Amino acid sequence: MKFRSNVIAALLLSAGVLYAGSASAAGRVTLYCSSDEAWCQQAKTEFEKATGITVDMTRKSSGETYAQIKAEAANPKGDVWWGGTGDPHLQAAEENLTQAYVSPNRRRIAEFAMNQAKASGDKTIGIYSGALGWGYNSELLTKQGLPAPMCWADLIKPAYKGKIQMANPNSSGTAYTTLATLVQLMGEDDAFKYLKALHKNINQYTKSGSAPIKAAGRGETTIGIVFMHDAVAQAAAGFPVKPVAPCEGTGYEIGSMSIIKGSRNLENAKKFYDWALTAESQGRAKDVKSFQVPSNLDAEVSPLTPNLSTIKLINYNFVKYGSSAERKRLLKKWDDEVGSMPVN
Amino acid sequence: MFRYFSASSIAGPIFLGALAIALMPWYMLQDGFFSFTWLSGYPLDAESASLLSLLLQGQKLWLAPIGLIFLVLFAGALLPLTRRKRGELFLWISAVGLAYALGQGFIVGIQGWSFSFLSDAFGDMQDRQFGMGYGAMFCLLSLLFCFSWGLSASGRVQQDPFVTGSLALIIGVVGLFIFMPVGQMLLLAFQPQGEGAILGAVLERLFDPKIWRLQCLSGVGQCGAAWNSLGLAVAVGFLTTLLGLAFALVFTRTRTPFRPLLRSLSLLPVITPPFVIGLSVILLFGMSGLVTQLVAGWLAIEPSRWIYGFNGVLLAQLLAFTPISFMVLIGVVEGISPSMEEASQTLRATPWRTFKTVTWPLLRPGLANAFLIGFIESMADFGNPLVLGGNFNVLSTEIFFAIVGSQSDMARAAMLALVLLLFTIGAFMLQNVWLGKKRYITVNGKGDSGVHPDLPWPIKWAVIGVTLVWTVFTIVVYALIIYGSFVEIWGRDWTFTLRHYISGFGVSWTEHGLMWQGSAWSSLGTTLTISLIAAPLTAAIGLLTAWLLTRQTFVGKAAFEFGTLLSFAIPGTVIGVSYIVAFNVPPFELTGTAAILVICFVFRNMPVGVRSGIASLSQIDKSLDEASMTLRATSSRTFLRITLPLIKPAILSALVYSFVRSMTAISAVIFLVSAQHNMATSYIIGRVENNEYGIAVAYAVVLIVIMLAAILSFQLLTRGRNIGRRGMAPSDTTLTSGVP
Amino acid sequence: MSLNRKSGDAAVVLKQIVKQYSPGSPAAVDNISLQFDSGCLTTLLGPSGCGKTTTLRMIAGLEMATSGQILIGGVDVTRLPATQRDVSMVFQSYALFPHMRVFENIRYGLEVGSLKAEEIDERVDAIMRMTGLEALGSRYPHELSGGQQQRVAVARALVIEPQVLLFDEPLSNLDAKLRRKVRQEIRDLQQSLGLTVIYVTHDQEEALAISDTIVVLNNAVVAQLGSPRELYEKPRTQFVADFIGEANILPCERVASAHGVKVVAGPLSFELSEGIDRVGKGHMAVNPGKISLQPHQEGALSPHAMTGMLSKASYLGDHLECVVETAIGEILVRTPVVSDAPFAGSVVTVTIPPEAIVLLDD
Repeated sequence: MKFRSNVIAALLLSAGVLYAGSASAAGRVTLYCSSDEAWCQQAKTEFEKATGITVDMTRKSSGETYAQIKAEAANPKGDVWWGGTGDPHLQAAEENLTQAYVSPNRRRIAEFAMNQAKASGDKTIGIYSGALGWGYNSELLTKQGLPAPMCWADLIKPAYKGKIQMANPNSSGTAYTTLATLVQLMGEDDAFKYLKALHKNINQYTKSGSAPIKAAGRGETTIGIVFMHDAVAQAAAGFPVKPVAPCEGTGYEIGSMSIIKGSRNLENAKKFYDWALTAESQGRAKDVKSFQVPSNLDAEVSPLTPNLSTIKLINYNFVKYGSSAERKRLLKKWDDEVGSMPVN
Repeated sequence: MFRYFSASSIAGPIFLGALAIALMPWYMLQDGFFSFTWLSGYPLDAESASLLSLLLQGQKLWLAPIGLIFLVLFAGALLPLTRRKRGELFLWISAVGLAYALGQGFIVGIQGWSFSFLSDAFGDMQDRQFGMGYGAMFCLLSLLFCFSWGLSASGRVQQDPFVTGSLALIIGVVGLFIFMPVGQMLLLAFQPQGEGAILGAVLERLFDPKIWRLQCLSGVGQCGAAWNSLGLAVAVGFLTTLLGLAFALVFTRTRTPFRPLLRSLSLLPVITPPFVIGLSVILLFGMSGLVTQLVAGWLAIEPSRWIYGFNGVLLAQLLAFTPISFMVLIGVVEGISPSMEEASQTLRATPWRTFKTVTWPLLRPGLANAFLIGFIESMADFGNPLVLGGNFNVLSTEIFFAIVGSQSDMARAAMLALVLLLFTIGAFMLQNVWLGKKRYITVNGKGDSGVHPDLPWPIKWAVIGVTLVWTVFTIVVYALIIYGSFVEIWGRDWTFTLRHYISGFGVSWTEHGLMWQGSAWSSLGTTLTISLIAAPLTAAIGLLTAWLLTRQTFVGKAAFEFGTLLSFAIPGTVIGVSYIVAFNVPPFELTGTAAILVICFVFRNMPVGVRSGIASLSQIDKSLDEASMTLRATSSRTFLRITLPLIKPAILSALVYSFVRSMTAISAVIFLVSAQHNMATSYIIGRVENNEYGIAVAYAVVLIVIMLAAILSFQLLTRGRNIGRRGMAPSDTTLTSGVP
Repeated sequence: MSLNRKSGDAAVVLKQIVKQYSPGSPAAVDNISLQFDSGCLTTLLGPSGCGKTTTLRMIAGLEMATSGQILIGGVDVTRLPATQRDVSMVFQSYALFPHMRVFENIRYGLEVGSLKAEEIDERVDAIMRMTGLEALGSRYPHELSGGQQQRVAVARALVIEPQVLLFDEPLSNLDAKLRRKVRQEIRDLQQSLGLTVIYVTHDQEEALAISDTIVVLNNAVVAQLGSPRELYEKPRTQFVADFIGEANILPCERVASAHGVKVVAGPLSFELSEGIDRVGKGHMAVNPGKISLQPHQEGALSPHAMTGMLSKASYLGDHLECVVETAIGEILVRTPVVSDAPFAGSVVTVTIPPEAIVLLDD
């Protein structure tokens, strides 16, 4: 009797645990994706179709993904980190969380993307680029009787009080790029004065980088500070959103990709890496309303994609502002001086 | 007749142990058991070898003592010893074995020595070991049962091996999966900051202004997260109690016709993922919400974001938690014997006086209980503040952001968790100590015969009014959720569409067969599987614990009771964080697996099984157990043949409700999802974060439908059951157990 | 069935049994030593709270004694749980398993042993025949009457052939008429099978009717033990006298006299020849049925008689119960119904024969 009941007890408890990590066939790759959800899904499906390798994908913002990779450093669970702004990638490279790989598909990659690789010792590479800016809900703006903001200086005008959303630079690569851009554009002290003034007009700091413009699309806020291609995507989806390139000049991002150090499926990770650099895979982005500029020079570009040559871009110092120390310092300063200010 | 302590009754644990060390892979398998890829290297490959195989190859020699221990145990089982001596032998040897087996797991880790003082003393270890796998796990289990058997056989305790074994099992798993992780996480709060002193760092973290500042009182700034949480929880507790009381009074003391509607409405928020209600509130009151637009149009003012923050979270939590308060208070209100009030009436008291002097004092303990439940639920709620919080920071969301932000600060998260725990455990102890055990026993009976007198009419109309308003509101909220899943874009494009359902749940026929195209299938499948696996485990552990608590007496019972009850008060966020702290590295490498989700659910929902079991068991005559004992049955036979069949309704109830709670869990789950195992609630929150409300709401509707189906089939199944004595209806208060 | 044992051996022995529920609290059972003879029906009798049920449960193994020894059939079972003792019990609530049929209930205890299924069925059939349950085998407990349920409980306990059979107030859930019938059935069964039975009840009439020996318990100790007759006719203390039968307890004084001892109570005085250990004040018990009641007539009174006022007379069918107020207190008298019986309010003469008196120890 005891035998039976003990075996039952053991079986009962282990029944669930026996399910632990039960995977199906071999041939997997674990993808940490920081691009837009739809694009992530597309990448997963296309890659699976093309190679038959199963992709386990989670989508988290670049800041979150960086944090996860760092937490898992002793026992990495991911294989490839794809998408998201370049700064966290550079920081991860600097902290030895990613590994170097020279892909055979690098020959047709644009210079901006190769700069990422150079800056990180080949631990990361650029896969797309996009300019920072904002978008506004034109219907809401008209209803509120406000002029369209065309310059950074416009955004701190009191008329826009409580009408702007941006992401929290701690968790969003987009917002960190904004922070670094303003520092490089205005000088650090003026930039922080600006941010404090801007804070009065902010109604919420979102977690994800593209959430502000989606809220604007829905009419939950008037203006959202995001990458311009995100604003374009909203407009393409049918929302009354207009993208704006700031008149004083603006920064840009280099969306990047890295292979995680200690990856358990290294061969498959490399296969994904190679695939992500091809013109075919990059050209499909526009089908899911991702309007970044692809890094493969042969990739098909949508007419809606903002033309970087017409936008006034600053000379963004990726090495400096991608470094771990500088990131930490700036984020802490932002936390202390802006993030702790009273809410509106 | 006295076959009790013959060697065969320890055959089970011994056999298990033998299997564990000889055949089963000792370490954790990378691709899981069922992938069977490990068979290719078996039995020699270090990754999949068993303990015996490893030792025979001369590898991982620090495991040798474990093998030796088992040899001694085998010998002990076979030698002709007296029961007492055998029991003593088993007791001590397995205790040593357990300590060593666990200890070596902590000491030798993924990089050799886990502690720097050891590598200083002994030099770097060239070898390493991964997390414990099935072999190790079953070995530990076997040692645990040998230990408990020894405890019984040696005569040191009165109870028989089944009871001691069950106790050991429960204490072991609760300790391992609740107290150890939480303890490890709390220790993090006491880490030094960089190179500084510990005390300084702790004080700095503890008194962080982000937690405790009070500027909001002067209207100028923000308040700290702790005060926000506290203020919110008090408000929610108070208001849900009032509302719940109103509902309960309407339901029991008036004769309004829409009472059945009330009963079914009270079920809905239980089966809805908590933040979905928050979502609906946004759809109504957000800047582009239905009501906001209407009101703005009428009054020609600008729509604002007033709902984001304290207001919105309060509203959403009231909607979500009032039904729980209702269910608790219904029991209390129904339990007031009508004859007392009738006596008051015959003594010439007006209805008002009767209410004030008789009814109200009898309600008070129940009200206090409902308040504390509402308080704890609000404190631990994560989903609604996440969705509606705006800039209103509460402890549960702060913990989350402390971990997932790029300033990943585990020490800060741990400190926040400590503060949150202090609040919830404080409230819980208040509930436990002050109010006593009354809340466990469901008073299903309607007291004695008698008719409740009518309420004094001002109260009567007040409660009917409030209830009516609330009911309408709840119906609107749910109607919106359903409607919202079928419109293109809420607030802008009201065309009817099935797009959201298709994008989430589309299927198509390809030449490879049925392809689950929708993006939601993966997480739904995972969620269903995990919930279905966790439910029977939850019921088993919960009912076993309930049985131990109601039917057995043993040394340290009060401590055991307190320990298992304490786990009720730990918020899901705290559990989630502790799991990623404690189970990311060997010896228990569980993060990223399905196992960690199952385990999390089992222990989060254990209260359901325990309370269901206690309520049911207390209705069963104790003399049935005693009769069974005098008829020569051991505890295990009594438990299996007498107790279990009589609490079948409780088993079913525990199964269904733990399934439902697993499906709607969010606060712990959000930390534990991984690429391979995403959960429905986490997926929905991701969509909400991305403002993709259409698919989020569609998914929520699908979840609600699934759970309704589960609960309705459960009700059907239990309707026919009437096992003699008194028809044992499952208690509704199983749902009020624990925190979200 | 092999249940016949040799009468006369002690089947159960209790040696200085104490039960304290928590240290420092008053003992529920205070240093009781008893012997229960094999083949006899011994009743533990007493008011509620006296410790009789606790004692029974300790014999059963459902409670553990705080100190002392319990021997069953010569084996020390003090530390053994109920499962391992060779006793079985019939509970006050019968404790029939509601989800099992009658025959399943009865089988339950046999399934643990090494008997084959056919043997088990045989025994179950036999016991059902013996207790008159043959037709009810496939019914559920809730489909049976109270008396039938009780028989199932007995059958279930009997079928495993225990050394000792324990009964915990088995008749309290039955109505008065059924009680008489069922208690006789239990007694007949016990005698025909030569069972050793320990029986707990608070009903003294029941105890008197069926017991071989009665143990009267009061306040956690044994007040008196003996055969029913001994206890009824020769109670030793006020408590026992009061509890068993309906004795009048009257204060008296014992004075030494020429022939032995003289007992004086008010106007009454009795010469008793039995040696009595002490003199002084005390109490005596007087059997109401042995007192004679006459309307008062003028004339001298014998030393065994006195006058009194009849305050109440209740007609109880076959006798009158009269309360007479006398110089030494109220006396209850039972007299036969006669046409010229005294009526309430009249003065009467009460005569107490010396053989009706029992001197009490306290």
